[in-house]
Amino acid sequence: MNRLYNSLEPRVMDDDMLKLAVGEQGPQEEAGLLARQEGILFKDVLSLQLDFQNILRIDNLWQFENLRKLQLDNNVIERIEGLEKLTHLVWLDLSFNNIEAIEGLDTLVNLEDLSLFNNRISKIDSLDALVKLQVLSLGNNHIGNMMNKGLAELKHQFSIDELKHRENLIQARLEDEQARREELEEHKAAFVEHLNGPFLFDSMYAEDVEGNKLACLHGAGELLEAYKDKFVVICVNIFEYGLKQQEKRKVELDTFNECVQEAIQENQGQGKRRIAEFEEKHLLSLSAIRDESELSNLEKKIVECSKDISELFNTLMTLEMQLVEQLEETINMFERNIIDLVGLFIENVQSLMAQCRDLENHHHEKLLEIAISALEKMVKGELEEDLPDEVRALFVDKDTVVNAVGSSHDIHLLKIDNREDELVTRVNSWCTHLVDKIHKDEIMRNRRRVKEINQYIDHMQNELDNLECSDIID
Amino acid sequence: MEVLKEEEEGKEAAKQEAAAEAVAEPAAEPLEEGEMMQPQEVGRRGTIMTQEMLRDLEKKLLGIEITVPEKPSIITKDTIDISKLPCSYQSNTPEEEHLLEVADNFSRQYSHLCPDRVPLFLYPLNECEVPKFVSTTIRPTLMPYPELYNWDGCAQFVSDFLSMEPLPDPLKPPSHLYSSTTVLAYQKGNCFDFSTLLCSLLIGSGYDAYCVNGYGSQDLCLMDLTREPCPLTVKPKEALWEKEEAPPKKYAVRPPRDLTSRFEQEQERKRQEKIKAEEERRQREEEERLQEVDSTGTDPLHGLRVHSWVLVLSGKREVPESFFIDPFTARSYSPQDEHFLGIESLWNHKNYWINMQDCWNCCKDLIFDLGDPVKWEYLLLGTDKPRLSLVDEEDDTLSEDYDIENLGKEDEDKCFDMPHSWVEQLEISPEVFETRCPNGKKVIQYKKAKLEKWAPYLNSNGLVCCLSTYKDPECTKILEVKEWYQNREDMLELRHINKDTGLIVDYFKPGHPQALRVHSYTSMQPEMDRVMEFYKTVRVDGLIRREETPKTMTEYYERRPDFLSYRHVNFGPRVKKITMNSTESNPRTVLKITERFFRNPAKPADEDVAERVFLIMEERIQLRYHCRENHITASKREFLRRTEVDSKGNKIIMTPDMCSSFEVEPSEHTKKLLYQYETMMQLKKEEKLCRHQAWESELEVLEILKLREEEEEAHTLTISIYDTKRNEKSKEYREARERVMHEEHLQQVEAQLDYLAPFLAQLPPGEKLTRWQAVHVKEECLSDFKQRLIDKANLIQARFEKETQELQKKQQWYQENQVTLTAEDEDLYLSYCSQAMFRIRILEQRLNRHKEMAPLKYMALEEKLCKDPRLAELLKSFV
Repeated sequence: MNRLYNSLEPRVMDDDMLKLAVGEQGPQEEAGLLARQEGILFKDVLSLQLDFQNILRIDNLWQFENLRKLQLDNNVIERIEGLEKLTHLVWLDLSFNNIEAIEGLDTLVNLEDLSLFNNRISKIDSLDALVKLQVLSLGNNHIGNMMNKGLAELKHQFSIDELKHRENLIQARLEDEQARREELEEHKAAFVEHLNGPFLFDSMYAEDVEGNKLACLHGAGELLEAYKDKFVVICVNIFEYGLKQQEKRKVELDTFNECVQEAIQENQGQGKRRIAEFEEKHLLSLSAIRDESELSNLEKKIVECSKDISELFNTLMTLEMQLVEQLEETINMFERNIIDLVGLFIENVQSLMAQCRDLENHHHEKLLEIAISALEKMVKGELEEDLPDEVRALFVDKDTVVNAVGSSHDIHLLKIDNREDELVTRVNSWCTHLVDKIHKDEIMRNRRRVKEINQYIDHMQNELDNLECSDIID
Repeated sequence: MEVLKEEEEGKEAAKQEAAAEAVAEPAAEPLEEGEMMQPQEVGRRGTIMTQEMLRDLEKKLLGIEITVPEKPSIITKDTIDISKLPCSYQSNTPEEEHLLEVADNFSRQYSHLCPDRVPLFLYPLNECEVPKFVSTTIRPTLMPYPELYNWDGCAQFVSDFLSMEPLPDPLKPPSHLYSSTTVLAYQKGNCFDFSTLLCSLLIGSGYDAYCVNGYGSQDLCLMDLTREPCPLTVKPKEALWEKEEAPPKKYAVRPPRDLTSRFEQEQERKRQEKIKAEEERRQREEEERLQEVDSTGTDPLHGLRVHSWVLVLSGKREVPESFFIDPFTARSYSPQDEHFLGIESLWNHKNYWINMQDCWNCCKDLIFDLGDPVKWEYLLLGTDKPRLSLVDEEDDTLSEDYDIENLGKEDEDKCFDMPHSWVEQLEISPEVFETRCPNGKKVIQYKKAKLEKWAPYLNSNGLVCCLSTYKDPECTKILEVKEWYQNREDMLELRHINKDTGLIVDYFKPGHPQALRVHSYTSMQPEMDRVMEFYKTVRVDGLIRREETPKTMTEYYERRPDFLSYRHVNFGPRVKKITMNSTESNPRTVLKITERFFRNPAKPADEDVAERVFLIMEERIQLRYHCRENHITASKREFLRRTEVDSKGNKIIMTPDMCSSFEVEPSEHTKKLLYQYETMMQLKKEEKLCRHQAWESELEVLEILKLREEEEEAHTLTISIYDTKRNEKSKEYREARERVMHEEHLQQVEAQLDYLAPFLAQLPPGEKLTRWQAVHVKEECLSDFKQRLIDKANLIQARFEKETQELQKKQQWYQENQVTLTAEDEDLYLSYCSQAMFRIRILEQRLNRHKEMAPLKYMALEEKLCKDPRLAELLKSFV
């Protein structure tokens, strides 16, 4: 069919063409009159039909944000493009065109029906994003190897299996990694990541050249081992304590959220009830006003009605104020508790860290002793074991040795301090963030509610005023 | 007494006849019960009376049994045909004799030791005047009916099945205790019969049950329930589901400050309490007054009336606490109940215990520990009742005396078990079980209530139970009536009629064609107050309830795809049509339709309508949307549909003032006229639909009412396909099958008919046939058959000739009288002729066929005989 149109000049999808199409396909008769009066915005259009237009390129469709159904069949389109913004598309017809590849459909996640009938497609590809796809029409294309699928499968059985196996392995690894990452996330949330093992200890020695060298000394190795064991025990203690505290904080936060939600729900329920009561009454009085003919009575009724409105306003506002007060109190209590919790946590962690420092000091002293004795021995030439040259270089004189040991000690202390600082700062910042957010949320909530109430009351008042005006005119 | 009188009457009559010298042969005509001789009849016989015959007659007359139809009181010995009873009923086995001796000894010891107590009820006579020990009268039986597996079912059955008779002497146990088989057969008995039967059933189904001989209140002994409220009217106590108060959470908000006056509240509370106390006092006084009226007739024999009931002890069948069952009423009582005034003794099928505890305070202080020999004196040792191990210290002195006694007895009773019951296996046929009450009907009078029961299928409308509740104790003013039905085709289960308000509530079981569940109404006329409830899973439209008043109809829905939950229709008066078109229904005008919807989670709250109201008269449509989350106000929209014409005469399609809306979150596109117009058009369409649905609902109500009336009229009962007795279809089918089977059987018998049997029988039996004999037999058989064939042909010919002769005679007669014959006679003659000709032709045909067939049959028989195994051998060699 499209061959017929080949002789014609290909057309461009411009604004005029789209407007015309929208106008033609929009509402008809009475509704059409209205539509023409007001004009139709492209983003309100739900379905668009552009068939037999000899279109070469899809263009200018970005405004149709809410389009559900698009017909572009029987054109001379060569590429699928320009449809990225039409994310609500459910139904897309691109049949009888000159399309060569399936592409550009990745954003159309809501697509259920896709027709690519009679095109020049040779490969089925990039349909992965279309999770809701139910109907796919691909007939009359150049897809060759569909029929021989069975044959091909036999032929490439081995390689397919290998690929599958590899994929499975990768998948498993990814899952593993994912799990590990999640665990780490959890630990991070508890601020004690990398404390459930010798990570801290290892990092202490990672940059410590002298320390490593000194470890080769006689006795230093065993000392180091013992030191490591003790250090790791303390680290694990910190880790476990951290997890426990995290659990506690979470429970605290959950209870708080639950209570606040309950209070808000309660309050909302009351508000709804009040409004429902009011509306019932209001409707009656409105119809009474409409039916009233005498002016004095009318005015009296209107005044009464507006009094009702303001009363409702007062009630709602009182309710809101009450809720604000209640929540404020609760939030303050929670704030106090959570700060206390965090404070306790920090204190305990600090004391544990101090134990680490003590251990380090102790180790330092011992190491110093060993180093000095080694030096003495070396000076006397009694050193039995042979040391690497670089270690031997340290044992030139006492100062060098002491300095080396000292610098190692300093590095260790620095590492411990850093870890502690990091933990404390992060906990504190989390705490302040949390509290800030709660306060901010509450303020937002309050504003929204006040705005809602005002809007409603204004509407009611307006309605009444309008009624008044129209009545007076009558 | 009456029995005697009637007998005397009979005698008198006989004597009168004797004087008139007119006597009947007594043996010639069996006399009906209570029937008197007719003098003229006697006279007709006219035999001469002799002294001897008179005496004989007298004797015979004395032997005639008479039952009084009005009062079939106690089953007299005469009514029971003892000759058919098995011998265990008529005599005692040696073990039983031994047991009786033991019991006699025990009884004598007992009366010696406790001279002030009444004699024991140990071995009453049975229907054959044979003394039987009470324990052996209990026959533990498990009935093959699931209803009789639990104690309440058993008790209900016994109380329904037997009709009650008072004891001959209310102060003494009866002299006779009949077997349960006899009691079941006659469906009546006294309290001892009742409790024996019930005890047999209960022990059979595994309960630890005992028959009790004791003393009961007058109401209990006479089965007088008029002072008891009916158990069906007593409302079950509402279980108090006290919600467990969740402990206040840590961050629960503090409630707003209570600013009301405490003092005022206090005053209010006090006032309320005062009123309440006043009311209570009045109520109490009322009750006291009533009680006084009730208790005016105190029983002079209180505490002396003998009664028998059943005790069920805890332990077996997961019975948590011991209780009494009154077999008359099938009610269970706690042992503390005031109706039970004392226990003399109790027994089961294994042993007999005497109560040694004081019953001054009814049965309230009794301890049912049968292993305690101080409290319960047993008759036989060594039954499986666990003996009490620890004896209270205080009772030591008392118990010693008994212990000494026991020692002596133990020696002789050792190793003696209760003999097996002498009563035959208890059997209840399914028909009798279903009919239950004697004649299938039973009436119980309660306090301000009357309960009537019928067997299923007895009433043509399926009524099985009817409870009438009265306003006054005299039972004159009916308050309400409850009727239970069974096996109704329209699934009606219960009808509750309130006579005060005239409200009738019908309850249906699942399966009504219109899925009705409950229908409450005051009249079957349409457009009246009524409520219909439906089984919600059955109806496609999800309707669960429809309420009607003369002006409104409210419907409640559930689980609909369009989330409709409620529709309320206000009707106006019917518009009078000028043309009276009776075929077309004239629906009432609809004034207002209100519809409510559940929240549709697929739509945003602002577009999900919660309620829409069509004010049809005002042409106004109001929409209220669902509330958004965290909001307290909901969007609203109101359409006023007035088709107006503007100044230029153009029709105004849509103006902004036709739609007023309030939006929680104003959006741009809803402001557009086009959107509003489209919404309005949509609503218009739906309004039409709603009106149509309202109309359809009205029609449906009419239809249901019509159907109900028809069903009520027909009140057909369903019969289960498993009910082989009532199911006519299956019966027919079964009978047809049996007939077919029977025929087949006959054919088979014929096929196996032995032609040779009569001829072989002539020969000496047991000997082998000789060749000559065989030939002879064959010849004989064949000649016999030939004779038969000829006979048959002759028979047919004879009939043929007779028929022809008759026809000829008739023809002759006709020719003679042809002139005088009427048209009718002529017709008759002609029809006779045609019929006779038909018969003649048939006979002719038969004869011809017989002639044709006879040689063939003859040949066939000959062949058959040749092949007969008994002859074949001999004949073959002969050939």
